[in-house]
Amino acid sequence: MSAIYLGEFEQIVLLAVLRLGEKAYGVPIRAEIENRAGRKVTVGALYATLDRLEAKGLVHSWFADATPQRGGRSKRYFKLLPAGVEALSGSKAVFERMWEGLHV
Amino acid sequence: MSEPPKFAEWLLRRLVGRRDADIVAGDLRETFDPRGGGRLWYWWQALSCMAVRFSLYRRSLPGIGTDFSRAVRRIRRNPGYAMTAMLCLALALGVNTTLFSFLDSLYFRRLPVPEADRIVQIRRQNAPFCSWQEYFAIRNDLHSVQAAAVLIFFDSMEVGRTNFDANVEGVSSNFGQVLHPGAALGSWFGPESESQAEPSVVISYRLWKTRFAGDPSVLGKQVRILDQDFRIGGVALPEFTSTLPPFMADVWVPLRPPAYPAHATLIARMPPGTTVAEVTAEMRVVSAVMRASDPGNEELASPVLVRPHVGFMSDSRNAFFGPIVTLLSAVSGMVLLIACVNVANLLLSRAAVRQREIAIRRSLGASRARLFRETLAEGLVLAGGGLAMGVFFGDWTGRALELLLPSLPMALYRGLHLGVDWQVMKFLTAAGVLCAVLFSLPPALANGRRALNPALKGDSVRNSRQREVYSIVQVALSLTLLIATGLLLRALDRVQHIDAGFAFDHRAYVFLSRPKREAFTQATAPLVSILIEQARELPGVEDATFAENVYPFAGARCAAAARESRQEHVYTNTVHPNYFEVMGIPIVRGRGFARTGSSADVPHVIVNQTLARTLWPNEDPIGKTIRFGGCREAGSTTGSIVAVARDAKYGSLDESPQPFYYLSDNEDPDVGSLALIIRTAGDPHQWIKPLIDLVRRGGGDLRFSESEALGDAVARSLWQVKWRASLLAALGLLAIVLAAIGVYGVVACSVAQRTREIGVRMALGAVPLDVQWLVLAHGLRITAIGIAVGLLLSAFTVRLLRGFLYGLSPFDPVAFAAASLAWIAIAIFASWYPARRATRVDPMTALNYE
Repeated sequence: MSAIYLGEFEQIVLLAVLRLGEKAYGVPIRAEIENRAGRKVTVGALYATLDRLEAKGLVHSWFADATPQRGGRSKRYFKLLPAGVEALSGSKAVFERMWEGLHV
Repeated sequence: MSEPPKFAEWLLRRLVGRRDADIVAGDLRETFDPRGGGRLWYWWQALSCMAVRFSLYRRSLPGIGTDFSRAVRRIRRNPGYAMTAMLCLALALGVNTTLFSFLDSLYFRRLPVPEADRIVQIRRQNAPFCSWQEYFAIRNDLHSVQAAAVLIFFDSMEVGRTNFDANVEGVSSNFGQVLHPGAALGSWFGPESESQAEPSVVISYRLWKTRFAGDPSVLGKQVRILDQDFRIGGVALPEFTSTLPPFMADVWVPLRPPAYPAHATLIARMPPGTTVAEVTAEMRVVSAVMRASDPGNEELASPVLVRPHVGFMSDSRNAFFGPIVTLLSAVSGMVLLIACVNVANLLLSRAAVRQREIAIRRSLGASRARLFRETLAEGLVLAGGGLAMGVFFGDWTGRALELLLPSLPMALYRGLHLGVDWQVMKFLTAAGVLCAVLFSLPPALANGRRALNPALKGDSVRNSRQREVYSIVQVALSLTLLIATGLLLRALDRVQHIDAGFAFDHRAYVFLSRPKREAFTQATAPLVSILIEQARELPGVEDATFAENVYPFAGARCAAAARESRQEHVYTNTVHPNYFEVMGIPIVRGRGFARTGSSADVPHVIVNQTLARTLWPNEDPIGKTIRFGGCREAGSTTGSIVAVARDAKYGSLDESPQPFYYLSDNEDPDVGSLALIIRTAGDPHQWIKPLIDLVRRGGGDLRFSESEALGDAVARSLWQVKWRASLLAALGLLAIVLAAIGVYGVVACSVAQRTREIGVRMALGAVPLDVQWLVLAHGLRITAIGIAVGLLLSAFTVRLLRGFLYGLSPFDPVAFAAASLAWIAIAIFASWYPARRATRVDPMTALNYE
């Protein structure tokens, strides 16, 4: 059972980072959430959540290569830390237990 | 291809911070082109980042732990400065603790009973709701609330063979059911007490502890109050002192329906879901019905008020406490401000010491906001420490004040509780945070403003000018307080020297009353005469007399010259013929009362000069007819004037001349109580006990109540003036101490900063006296400017004191001059130590300094 409680949006963001693996930075993360969860996300909300997750020690971020289509600006990549993986699986386990034997 | 809006990009960079903005702008740019532009979209996304940036969480919480732990570390490294700062704050916040708990008990405190927010008081404008009998008539017709009636009076309480004065709350028998006050022992009486032979009473916890030594077997003991027998049925909880604070009750007695011809205050508990408006509506209807059945009763005409039972401020008490509250608030606020300026000064001098460190951190990229937050955190830690100490001080001063309060003119206000509760803590915390912001601002702004280059190179950038200004402000504020204190002390002196118009030294009295509250009549006259004779024979007693009342008089009656002329509200006294001699009140015209019973049909009346002047301007009042007594025609009597007595003070020493008339006890013996007054050769206190013994022996079934030296009663009427003066003196002293610390700090700091200059001067041949003068002059310059500003400030503020000064001009030159001189002396004192230290500077060390 995870000691860290994750909000719904935090879970979605963490899962998006996890799915993207090496390619997880701002633009693809937002695209992933939009495509899979069908949710429009503002940059502000996304980075606020990512900053918070980083402060909790669930993700790690670093700055990397600037590309011309970004106007020469650098990207900020994100990676899940072990604690993040643990928190996610904890949340999943909670839902699985709650859903057990239920059919709707 | 369109370009992203440049202004949005610029705003992002300015508001979000360069690095984060770069990432966001990059992301947006990458998406912007593929989605085919969209300036609105871009703006929306950029604004979302700025909104997050400015949300409270992002701005304050991250890193706040670091800020605080750094602040604590810095404070621990320099405990001296931190302790000084906290002590300054603690003193000022301590004063404010007392103020807040005073305000709390005046305005906000509820009764200590369950669900106290549903308790309401039902009354009329400036009057109780109804008479005691009316209450019993209406109580069964009330639907929206259950109401209890409460009545305060004083009586003697007999337990076994002992007998003592008690503050009694006469209440209706449903009191316990309405209020649920709870009991420490036993239980509250209920409606059954109305039919019992010996109903039970509840005594206060205080009485239980003091009179019965906390003995649990007190239940069932017989007591006698109001000439009725009761049994003690319970002991109230310690915190439940009275229904009508600040009155402090000793015993709660269930009164029976026909019991009392007095007025009662109604206290009611609203059932859940009932509103004050509903209760008011019902009470208006009840009042209208009462009015219809008694149309002539003026008292039933005033509007009905239903108010939540909080604090104890009514209109009349507002008149008494209002000015004190204003004065206390203003002075406490000033003291707090002075303390804040002090701490700001301290922090500024710390900032001057740390300027190199700050400059380095800023050049390494620490933002101004970051440094500001750190300074604020340090301020909050200091305020927190000051607050903790302040509450301790405040609780202590509150207790000290509570101990002082029994000397209040009214035993009533003894219940003024000055403890610290949550409400007070909330106020205090708010005050503490406000202080922290106030005194953190100047150093924080100074840190942000300073040019980096000179600071990095180690050139000292002084902020001494700013600190001097603060010091001047302190001197000015505390001078204002000092002037106000001086004015009040002078006013006190003035009041104490007012001619009372009667002799009170060497006079003592004891009040006598008859059992069952019967009046003194012709039948008791012989007993009274015998008592006077016996009192005269006591060794050391020079003379004795009787009067219905003694100073201070209360409860005016009416008088008029003739049937149709205007009525005057006047005080009165029924006295023995020799009263005027014993009390040293000269008869200025006519003769006094006849020694023996008068044969005249109309009673003889003696008026004072003011009443004579008011009723018969420019006429000789002797022989004129006066109508006196009740203010309605039915209750009044006519009498003839036999003499005019000199004016005296009747209600208070500072009153303007009041109209007054005297009746003779030979002709109008029908009075409720009599004071036996004696004139003694020595200290009157010694004769109080013999006097009481005399009444015990020879007074038959007479009861005696209050007994004291008349001089004490007069001194007590000066209580308000003394209280105000001593309060302001104490706070003024505190302000001076705080301001003196400020001046000392500024001068000492400038000596430290000018060590090199002083060394040079001394190397060049300056003698110690020159150097001392240099430093002293600095302190005096600050003080002189402070005094000038303070005098100007006082010129505006002392007007507010006008009501407290008893005719003394608020611009009294003595107070102004004395306060200014006192401050000059304080400034010399505060600068003296740094000046001495300056002369001890060794020129060689000083030249190598820094």
